[in-house]
Amino acid sequence: MNAIRRSVFLLWLPTWLALTAHAQLYQGRQLVHADALANVSAIVPGEPFLVGVRLKMEPRWHTYWKYPGDAGIPTDIKWQLPEGWRVGDIQWPIPLKLEEPGDILIYGYHDEVLLIQQVTPPKDLTGASANLSAKVSWLVCEKICIPGDGTVNLSLPVAQANSSANIDLFARFQKQLPTPPAADFSASWKGGAAGLVLRVSHPDLGKFSSVEFFPSPPENVAVGHPRLASRTGNVFTFDVPLDNANGKFKSLPGLLVFGSSNDAPDRSAWDISIGHQTAAANEKSTLSEMIHFLIFGFIGGFILNLMPCVLPVISLKIFGFIQQAGQSRARIFRSGLAFIAGIFVWFLGLALVLVIIKSAGGQPVWAAQFTNPYFVLAMSAVVLVFALNLFGVFEINLPQWLSRRAVAAESAHGNAGSFFQGVFATVLATPCTAPFLGTALGFAFTQSAIVILAIFASIALGMSLPYFLLSAQPAWLKFLPKPGPWMLRVKQLMGFLLIATLLFLLSVLGAQRGVAALIWTCAFLLVLSVACWLKGAFMTPIASARTRASVLLVILLLLIGSGYYFIGEKFQSASLAASPTASAGSGWEKFTPERLASELQQGRPVFIDFTAEWCITCKFNESTVLETAAVRGAFSEHQVVKLKADWTNGDPAITKLLKQFGRPGVPLYVLYPGGTAQPYVFPELLTKNIVLEKLETVNRNIASQ
Amino acid sequence: MKTVLLALISLTATTVIAADSPPVGATAPDFNLADTGGKTHSLSEYKGKYVVLEWFNPECPFVKKHYGSGNMQKLQGEYTGKGVVWLSIDSSAPGLEGNLTAEQAQKVMKDWNTKQTALLLDPEGKAGRAYNARNTPHMFVINPEGKIVYEGAIDSKATPNPADIPSSTNYVKAALDESMTGKSVSNSNTRPYGCSVKYK
Repeated sequence: MNAIRRSVFLLWLPTWLALTAHAQLYQGRQLVHADALANVSAIVPGEPFLVGVRLKMEPRWHTYWKYPGDAGIPTDIKWQLPEGWRVGDIQWPIPLKLEEPGDILIYGYHDEVLLIQQVTPPKDLTGASANLSAKVSWLVCEKICIPGDGTVNLSLPVAQANSSANIDLFARFQKQLPTPPAADFSASWKGGAAGLVLRVSHPDLGKFSSVEFFPSPPENVAVGHPRLASRTGNVFTFDVPLDNANGKFKSLPGLLVFGSSNDAPDRSAWDISIGHQTAAANEKSTLSEMIHFLIFGFIGGFILNLMPCVLPVISLKIFGFIQQAGQSRARIFRSGLAFIAGIFVWFLGLALVLVIIKSAGGQPVWAAQFTNPYFVLAMSAVVLVFALNLFGVFEINLPQWLSRRAVAAESAHGNAGSFFQGVFATVLATPCTAPFLGTALGFAFTQSAIVILAIFASIALGMSLPYFLLSAQPAWLKFLPKPGPWMLRVKQLMGFLLIATLLFLLSVLGAQRGVAALIWTCAFLLVLSVACWLKGAFMTPIASARTRASVLLVILLLLIGSGYYFIGEKFQSASLAASPTASAGSGWEKFTPERLASELQQGRPVFIDFTAEWCITCKFNESTVLETAAVRGAFSEHQVVKLKADWTNGDPAITKLLKQFGRPGVPLYVLYPGGTAQPYVFPELLTKNIVLEKLETVNRNIASQ
Repeated sequence: MKTVLLALISLTATTVIAADSPPVGATAPDFNLADTGGKTHSLSEYKGKYVVLEWFNPECPFVKKHYGSGNMQKLQGEYTGKGVVWLSIDSSAPGLEGNLTAEQAQKVMKDWNTKQTALLLDPEGKAGRAYNARNTPHMFVINPEGKIVYEGAIDSKATPNPADIPSSTNYVKAALDESMTGKSVSNSNTRPYGCSVKYK
């Protein structure tokens, strides 16, 4: 330290000491009175309770919110707790927006504020009473600002039972806490001329004369003053000025505050920070990241080939390759390209549909078609028909109408077949959201139409790569076995693989619609099988035109009749099955938005498993990670509330939350660490280590505050 | 009708501009302000030099943090020694905290042993509003071409406690060092912290 600096420091030292020691005194008045209160009369070992640090301010003086605005510093609370105690984040009540001359905007509290935190005492707490103390520091301002600090103490008896205390005070400030958004709420962000544009809507929002956005940007990010750009009915848009030249920010965390006026006591607020995490992960949305996601899409597409629900169809195709091995190379290559075209057409078609839905304001969701029982039913029928075909019950001569028109009849036949096989393979692939694919898709859904198309194209490319190589280099087909009578056996065996796929689809239907609906579906499938047999037995090319016409009539009558009776009447009336996974025991409880809100309100840590009956990745994660003894133990040790969000039937409340996390489908695993802390989103492919590690970190974080 | 519309549009435009500081990369607004000796300084006269603008209020605890510890004087001394023009600006309105007469300002400079090029008095808040200076201290670094290369906080720890200074990153120092060696400023826009500027 040089001489000048030392002398200056010494000169100011007394003033500084005076400031810290007597900061609260200003012109003989104490500006802030701080004390600590609990919402219980006594501490019960192991049972969480709430403590509040109350700041009472002189009239017109204010302290600050977690984001102070253009000036000021948030109040800081450091609890000094013995070993084994844990304390959650500060639950900040909705602040007032205060304006000072010079267009200075700050967020803070007048008169009185209670900053609530959840405290969890250890289970093995002993002694007759416990003393808790915290060092509180604040900045209190009116025309001028004065920093202050103080130590607050709380002494409570330790007992086996307790009653509520300070009920009115806690209730008054808990009422002012932001909550998660209501079910019908939607928010979207996009880049604007000078920052970001936030668009929010909810059916009741139009009722409020004051609707505002309070940002709570990450540390050291400068945000301008959000301005209401337009309000039309229930739709509000805000301009949020921000230095965002490089497109670093896709969204900002913050509160949507609404009420009859901007300082009315009846104000409410929704914390719309949820999903910000996903956006933050995408902050560096550069070309390199785009390439990164395209690569993930490609790998994901390739992995789709290995998925159990695709494998049977892939085998079909490989079987086709073997058949063609003796033919000309050009023909094999054309056939391969047709297959690839099928894959591309399906994915790009799907992408186009999503782009259209997205632009129409809908909420596209991955594998959403599997939440529709009629889609699953149709898939079951298709799979059964293919299986019967493999068993040799009938031959498919569907492409004939195409081939007649084609110039080269025979090759068109093969190509059209390959094309539809390509489509079919990919249709079956959708429920298997491979781990990489999910990431790429999650990204795609937040992007422009061109990006969505590009990512889907890269998925299609990944999926079709093996076929491209095999058809371009038929020499490699030599490594595949030679055709022979064994092929018939293999074909039949593959039929059984398709039957296995059918079982999977039926299990989904059962979960969606219950046993009765399942039985009626099977009845329909039986009639469908008979129809296929009729076709194979009597509609042969050598049969007379009359026979063929009459058999076709019988088949149509059978299908329409059984379709009408079994599906139109019986299946339709079967009620929705009660969610089977929710009652599956082992500590899981059914997810509802209200349940989540109330658990979070009470500051409890919550883990949500977004799952569905038809999601194989979900089942895999559940059996290999979530339902293992170690993970179960860790959940109960950290007293985490486990909620299961079952998306089998496409519950709109769950769809909405998935969307808020930027995910188009299941699986999704989220941990709310408790209090108002931001939720942590797990990767799609869970490992025991990552779950255990995260539970430990959360615990440490809470303990260190 | 057309005029009303035009007026509305220009009104909205000005509100948008008023809500934000001139962005980094923009030309720094010019000003004419008297220093404690009555001499007038304008930004344009320093074209060709690096200029630091520091919003100042001697009563503000955050300003005291950096002067009480000698941190601000050290920075001022170091960079004025390298040819940088350092202008402290007091935009407190008369009757409000931190408003200084020329004599009071001279006394503060002497007592605190400050090392800036000049302390400018802006009781009307003209320069403050042109830059949308919101805090004391709120820092701007302007390059020889007259463009803003840094806007924001003095350092990374937004507290009034001088004990936090040694462990914080000084953004102004970093911006000057990078800019003066021909590099682009890596952290060119941060959230300023401190007291609000006491405008009329």
